[in-house]
Amino acid sequence: MKKRIFSAVFTLIMGMSLLAGCNTQPEKLEFTTFAMDTVMNITIYSEDQDGARGVSEALTSLLAGMDSMLSATREGSDISQINQSEGQPVEVTGWTMELLPQVLELCQATDGALDITAYPAVKAWGFTGEEHRVPPSNELAELAAKIDYTAVELGMNTVSVPAGMEIDLGAVAKGYAGDLLAYNVRDNNLSSALLDLGQSTIVAVGTKPDGSPWRIGVRDPEGEDYFAVVELEDMAMGTSGGYQRYFEEGGVTYWHILDPKTAAPARSGLSSVTVVSPSALTCDGLSTALFVMGLEDGTQFWRDHPELEFEAVFVTENGEIYRTAGLEGRFSLADGYQDREVTVLE
Amino acid sequence: MRTKVIALLLLAAVAGSAAFLLLQSGGTEHPVARITRDGVLLEEIDLSRVDTPYSITLEDGSGTNTVLVEPGRVRVSEADCPDQICVNQGWIADGTVPIVCLPHRLILEIVGGGGNLDGGAG
Repeated sequence: MKKRIFSAVFTLIMGMSLLAGCNTQPEKLEFTTFAMDTVMNITIYSEDQDGARGVSEALTSLLAGMDSMLSATREGSDISQINQSEGQPVEVTGWTMELLPQVLELCQATDGALDITAYPAVKAWGFTGEEHRVPPSNELAELAAKIDYTAVELGMNTVSVPAGMEIDLGAVAKGYAGDLLAYNVRDNNLSSALLDLGQSTIVAVGTKPDGSPWRIGVRDPEGEDYFAVVELEDMAMGTSGGYQRYFEEGGVTYWHILDPKTAAPARSGLSSVTVVSPSALTCDGLSTALFVMGLEDGTQFWRDHPELEFEAVFVTENGEIYRTAGLEGRFSLADGYQDREVTVLE
Repeated sequence: MRTKVIALLLLAAVAGSAAFLLLQSGGTEHPVARITRDGVLLEEIDLSRVDTPYSITLEDGSGTNTVLVEPGRVRVSEADCPDQICVNQGWIADGTVPIVCLPHRLILEIVGGGGNLDGGAG
């Protein structure tokens, strides 16, 4: 009897020490960095905090390096050198050379709804930090005539853009950075991280430490709350909305997402588009392009391009919510929005 | 009798350790608003202790931001930055997303207090 009691106590002690052992769960390492005109918030879970800190430093310098080459506003960057080249070929770094062909493919796939040569128009509206202004219609026509991504020429390690034209990778650089960061995180054997590159681009590496997916709120374009929750596991997400950056003049709201055909804010009847895909670059580029296309053309684009492996959530200016069928099980309405109708696109 | 006592002791130990583990993973701390500029902490406000709304104006060489504090929530109500993104964002009441004034390198965030989302897009 004594022996049995002793063994029971022994088992319990062993069990408790095992439980204590289980308690060395992955710890959270969170850091914030300013890059690409936004604040990025990175969360990494790891049992090896020193290793995670090393990764966080590597990610921070990677972001700073990419920013210094891909920014259109930074003196000496690849992009500003291209924009000041007066049509001459410019030698660029590996990042620019890797990103540009992928972006130009997206520009082509979207038939120019995404166009990286709209930069002079973005500047004319004052969306690069200058005073906001509404350019007159003749100026807009001139600007629109010079938006044409097919004029960008890629050499072995050079890029040339005709004089008078300028490029900007603002719509895709964060997505590209998200993909590279996620690659780095996985390469360091970290299996649980959330890379928030300024809310418009979010990349989930693996799941949360408890094995459940990351839950990301999607902002209601009409308010301050989240109208929906999308669950992500090894997946990226990008949102474009007219409410993100805008100004008002004469009672009219002008937002930063321009239609390359008119050089003016895209008025397609949508107020936000969220794209979910394994590629953050795809999410970033397509959320802008689908916003420009509108609901009908955007839905058709989704049907026509299964190879891009993306799903989407559309919110119209009337507040109607549409989502593609592939988000089944990953999309839900948030608290306070349960009575809203969601149309599933197939 | 002795077996029973030991069994009870065992039960108590198991219950105790379970409670300890649960409490450890729980996290029922108060929501606290933190205002930082360039990573330097400027203000820390326990939002559960705010009874009446008030505002704080933060000023440095780059410009000013006025932060409105109410029970359980905060916002930037006025700023002289060119893009007004911090003002347009409105209120935050949990740690899902921070309010950022990039031109003034100011971050207003809420830590603690829970919230059932890991992040926010938009």
